[in-house]
Amino acid sequence: MVDSRRLDLLDPAEVARLGGIEIVAQGVVEGFLAGIHRSPFRGFSVEFTEHRAYQPGDELRYLDWKILARADRLFVKQFEEETNLRAMILLDASRSMAWRGDPARLTKRGYADRLVAALALILLRQRDATGLMTFDEAVRQVIPARVKAGQWTRLVRGLIDTPDGLGTAAEAALRQLAGLLARRGLVVLVSDLLLDRELALTALRYLRHRGHQVIVLHVMDPAELDLAGPPEVRFRDPESAASVVVRPRELAGAYAATVRREIAGWRTACRRHGVAYHHIRTDMPFGMALRLLA
Amino acid sequence: MTFLHPLALLGLAAAALPALLHLLERRTPPEAEFPPLRYLRDAERQSARRLRLRHLLLLILRTALVAVIVLAAARPIVPTGRGGGGGRSGAVHAPTALAVVLDNSLSAGAVVDGRPVLDRLKALARASLAQATAGDRLWLVLADGVARAGSREALLASADGATATPQRLEVVPAVERAARLVAAEPLPAREVHVLSDLQRTALGTGTVDVPDVALLVLAPPERVPANRGVAAARAGEGGLGLTIAVSGTPGAGAAPLVARLHAPGNGPAGGRAREVGRTLAAPGQSVTLPLPPLAPGWWMGEVWLDADELRGDDRRLFVVRVAPPASVAADAGVGPFVAAALAVLRVAKRVTTGGGVSIGERLGAAHSVVLPPGDPALLGQVNRALSARGVRWHFGAPGPPGTIASADLAMVRGVQVNRRYRLEGTEGDSGVVATVSGEPWLVRDGGVVLVGSRLDTTWTALPAAPGFVPFVDALANRIARGEALVAEAVGVPRVQFVTRGADTVGATVFGPDPRESDLTPGTPDELHRSFPGARVLDEAGLAAERFAGARRADVSGLLLGFALLLAAIELAVASMSR
Repeated sequence: MVDSRRLDLLDPAEVARLGGIEIVAQGVVEGFLAGIHRSPFRGFSVEFTEHRAYQPGDELRYLDWKILARADRLFVKQFEEETNLRAMILLDASRSMAWRGDPARLTKRGYADRLVAALALILLRQRDATGLMTFDEAVRQVIPARVKAGQWTRLVRGLIDTPDGLGTAAEAALRQLAGLLARRGLVVLVSDLLLDRELALTALRYLRHRGHQVIVLHVMDPAELDLAGPPEVRFRDPESAASVVVRPRELAGAYAATVRREIAGWRTACRRHGVAYHHIRTDMPFGMALRLLA
Repeated sequence: MTFLHPLALLGLAAAALPALLHLLERRTPPEAEFPPLRYLRDAERQSARRLRLRHLLLLILRTALVAVIVLAAARPIVPTGRGGGGGRSGAVHAPTALAVVLDNSLSAGAVVDGRPVLDRLKALARASLAQATAGDRLWLVLADGVARAGSREALLASADGATATPQRLEVVPAVERAARLVAAEPLPAREVHVLSDLQRTALGTGTVDVPDVALLVLAPPERVPANRGVAAARAGEGGLGLTIAVSGTPGAGAAPLVARLHAPGNGPAGGRAREVGRTLAAPGQSVTLPLPPLAPGWWMGEVWLDADELRGDDRRLFVVRVAPPASVAADAGVGPFVAAALAVLRVAKRVTTGGGVSIGERLGAAHSVVLPPGDPALLGQVNRALSARGVRWHFGAPGPPGTIASADLAMVRGVQVNRRYRLEGTEGDSGVVATVSGEPWLVRDGGVVLVGSRLDTTWTALPAAPGFVPFVDALANRIARGEALVAEAVGVPRVQFVTRGADTVGATVFGPDPRESDLTPGTPDELHRSFPGARVLDEAGLAAERFAGARRADVSGLLLGFALLLAAIELAVASMSR
């Protein structure tokens, strides 16, 4: 069983050592929901369909007070249209995601897997149909959005079964996703965004045009923000095998400025197209990352 | 610019180290994965120009830093011009050929202002030599005139050990030689330091004018002590009297002097001396003291002056030769003048009648004084007899008239000779006692003395000269016996006897050069005439001008400071973008 502490606020690497993705995600979600006392993602239907047992984090306004008065049990009401939210999570499984700047940290992919699992669990607990698409140079795995029992397990299995890929081609995945999502829904892109920004933005813009709510989670290792290393080093791109010899100490300032500029560029571009953008570091507690989405 | 340690410049090769290290360091950098390579490239592209400039600047700074440190290690020296602390210890100068002329002649022993002049001169010589560096070429010239080449330490020891000697330093020739020595050295600078009391008598008439040699002359002292010295003390032939000459600084008053005699066999160091005379004498005066009747033998004595500032010339030794009267036989051919002189000498008991020494136209049995025969036809007979006796001299053809010159016989110097025969020898000039016109006139070989002229007024003016009787005395008592005149030489006061078998046949009396007693320095005009291009300086001036022409500043300190500045700039540039 997971630790009784608030796993969502602990160091991600430390949390990851507690167990597999499922265990960690459940622990994170439990902590997260206990912290905010309400469901983060609320459906927009008003037709009541059934009751379900109250879970910490559910909004009190959906509590059925009559049942509470009669049976002294906590049930919340669920509505017909609540399952109309169809969330599709796109996970970048390219080779660059399998990198970490410090062995004590999670790789970007490791962090993203756990974050995606937690996010999916939250969505599914809200009865939101949730699906997963992993991609690198091409779409590797697609798990359509469902709300039925066992969906979360399938999603987690999908995460686990997706190996680290090669290059990154997000626009193809995004365009394929647009074809899969017949109805408006939520699209969450989890990536290190080491891809062609213009092409990716074009695809995101297309999704937005189709009426989808789009969230971009930009995952970065802290070592990608500040350049460090030996006096002189040949850095090699794991995806393209291109390399460059640099003196980190000389280039640190310019590099940090470039990274800041790149993040700002993504944020600005996303805002311009109505896309929510969140920058997430792999040393950020999962709860804080999830809170960004709430 | 020159370098004290030029070999260190080989280290300039190390200036290539930064570039080499840079290249070596670039050769095998470690490799690492780094996904956001595109950001890196963007950053590099944007700062490439700045980085290139920075790298270039760092390379230049590091290369310059190494080069500057190497230059500093090579101890560069640059000209700084004259003045400004030249006398300071450890001053740097370009390699210099330096000759120090240290006048340690007798006069330098004078005490002025409570301190011997020589001590002052030695201190200045030491200062000059002490400032020399390994690149200098050094000589030290003392009163003996010898230019000693050597290391600084060796010459310092020589200068420190110099004492006042009886020798006289002829300053101008010594400085001339020193100047020519340094002028021959292929060094950037050449100096001669003349440290002397610059006695007028030591300057002479010469001139030192050697181009490209800086001549620094210590100015003579302003105060000149009144000094007197015994210039000479000579006993007359047969010990008839003691003539004493006094020299010294002009104007010095008369001082008491006393003459003492030691018994034969007892030198000044042993035995009691007998005072034989006492008088007053001033510089330039000559006095004669009568000597008491002395038994035959070699007597030694000394003349003392009252002590003054220069003690070295207050005493002079003398030797008196009292020979037993020679027994002389003169034949009829010698003429009336010789017969008369011998008569006088017999009365004075300087000679006796006998066959010890024969004077005449023929060879005697023992010692003979042979005069040319009045009849030229007999000349061949005489020559054959001389040859038969083994005498290496004989009478030759008649020679031209002239005057007599002799170091041994002062009484006949300058006397006119009208007629004479040339005296011709088979073994050079050995045995020549007097000459006329440079040709032997009086010679001695073995026990035979040949005179080139008959002792007659038609042949020579000698019989009419005052020195004739002493001349005959010397002929009979000394020259015919083969005894030498008491000689005089410059040296540490002592007497050196010349012996032949068990007999003493001569003596040399050593003493200081009498010219050393006159301490009067040369006037500025005389100094200028002797040393036309020289700078005459007092002690302070000498200290300031020493090595002035070659003075250099050691800029290694400045270079090290510059290196520190470069290092600071390098550090700042290197950490600018860290």
